[in-house]
Amino acid sequence: MSMAIETHELSKRYRRVSALTHCTVTVPQGRVCALVGPNGAGKTTLLRMLAGMASPTSGTASVLGGAPRQDPAFLSEVGFLAQEIPLYRRFTGEDHIRIGTHLNQRWDAALARTRLAELRIPLHQPVGTLSGGQRAQVALALTLAKRPRLLLLDEPFAALDPLARQNFLATLTSAVADAAGRLTLVLSSHLVTDLERVCDHIILLAGSRVQIYGDIDTLLAEHKVLAGPNQDTGPIERTHQVVHTVTTGGRPTLLVRLSGPVTDPACQAEDVTLEDLVLAYMGAGEASAAKHLTTVGEDS
Amino acid sequence: MTWLVWRQYRTQGAIASVLLAAAAAVILVDGFQIASHWHSILVTCAGNGGCLSQQGPLVNGVVSDLPYLTLIVPVVLGMLWGAPLVAHELETRTSDFVWAQSVTRTRWLIVKTGWLLLAAGICGGALAALTTWWSGPINALSATAFDPGQFDTQGIVPIGYAVFAMALGIATGTVARRTLPAIAVVLGGFIAVRLLISNLLRPHYITAVTTYYHLTGSFTPPGQAWVLGQGGVSPTGVTVPQGWGSLGTVALGSCQKLLGVGPQTKGGSPAAILSCLQAHGWRGFATYQPADRYWPFQGIETGIYLLLAAALIAVTFAIVRRRDA
Repeated sequence: MSMAIETHELSKRYRRVSALTHCTVTVPQGRVCALVGPNGAGKTTLLRMLAGMASPTSGTASVLGGAPRQDPAFLSEVGFLAQEIPLYRRFTGEDHIRIGTHLNQRWDAALARTRLAELRIPLHQPVGTLSGGQRAQVALALTLAKRPRLLLLDEPFAALDPLARQNFLATLTSAVADAAGRLTLVLSSHLVTDLERVCDHIILLAGSRVQIYGDIDTLLAEHKVLAGPNQDTGPIERTHQVVHTVTTGGRPTLLVRLSGPVTDPACQAEDVTLEDLVLAYMGAGEASAAKHLTTVGEDS
Repeated sequence: MTWLVWRQYRTQGAIASVLLAAAAAVILVDGFQIASHWHSILVTCAGNGGCLSQQGPLVNGVVSDLPYLTLIVPVVLGMLWGAPLVAHELETRTSDFVWAQSVTRTRWLIVKTGWLLLAAGICGGALAALTTWWSGPINALSATAFDPGQFDTQGIVPIGYAVFAMALGIATGTVARRTLPAIAVVLGGFIAVRLLISNLLRPHYITAVTTYYHLTGSFTPPGQAWVLGQGGVSPTGVTVPQGWGSLGTVALGSCQKLLGVGPQTKGGSPAAILSCLQAHGWRGFATYQPADRYWPFQGIETGIYLLLAAALIAVTFAIVRRRDA
């Protein structure tokens, strides 16, 4: 299985602040990957480095087989949509489509026009006069018109109401289906619930570090919530990797990454949801980040 | 890429073209009037030089300020078009849209800066050509080719100023990443550079010529030369600027002493003092740039501004290529 994204110890510092620290992840081709983490975890930094918009302080990234770089061949393969949904406010949708025609060797203007017509978004009106949801749709249609092999979307849902969110997701899923495994998608969000329905891969960032990444089904199978019969969690900690512990009524509940079968018959093992998993790892990440903060003395 | 530049600047470009055309119309109409007036003066005076010098100014009122357009337009273009070129894209984050297309930032910048520098050069050149033509009779009547009012508004230097102002705007906007501060810096920076170069560098583009003459006589460099200094110089090299008053205070005293004339006699006529000084080795001197250096100076100054512009554009490219978007 070839990788659309492969990073090794990728780091980015802005003056004294670490935006991303030793990030090593892979995303196989054809996947829809959720990039999840709290605000300030480094999601935008990672996406911008993958898109070739920012350069790493250290470490390497390989995107579609090469380092992100300023060269038309690379740029034409990668679609990047920044969080601010950048468009020329005084230009119409049609203007943007024509800009794309002039600035890309491969450009599917018909695709953009068709999608926007289906959504009944006016093409001959300055995009500054459109609603936030319509603008996001215009920007997405333009990004898809590039026919990229890798699509990087930074917080695409931030500005959208639930209905617009649904339309946006529908556009995305149909694009992925149309591409038949040729398109890899990375979407960032601070809420995993936004992405749960469409994603099959996840990268979880917290405190500028990767907490966990991989195939969602595999990760869900590897993790269990264990509720022990007694307060002694020692045996569990010795056999499995404890991610997070919650104690309710004196009875500890542990979210663990299994390193083998659960042998203790008195122990109840329950399946985890993606949200449980994300929250557990985020909590772990936050804790380590807080520790990191007190030692370094970060200013931001 | 060119289409994007056209789309982004078509409105501003149309406004600028209309304004330029209007200015051109005014200059042309007024210029023909001046020319016919000048022609009638030439007929009336018919080779009588004294008659020419008695003519009043050829232009009066608002139109006499027309040459200042050549001074103002370049810096305005630098502020309104140059400063936002990169800064506004960064401010509105449209750089994230345009730099996410399949065109490298370098190519994007080459095409945008290329067209805008060309536009600035054309504006500066067109205004300079019109002003030069319009000023023909005025230039003939006055001997001021090197005066800032003439040298800076005619010939080819306005092209250099315009290209430099545009490059200054582009570079400042790129460094500042914000349009408004960049506009302020362009205005201040342009004026500062212009003053520095015209006052400190321009007199020395080519080593000035110094001519010595008999103190009792007089000397005027031929043609519309640029006189940098004139006065008296002692055998030991002490110079005194021209004008009887200042020449008097220093030289008068020394000659009185030399002549053994006491201060109480208040030493004779100016001519006698000058003869005395001449007799004791004083000479008159004039340091000047000859009239035939007008075009070399225009060329050198234009070259300096084009080189500065090239350096600013190089800085812009280095920043845009390297810095994270």
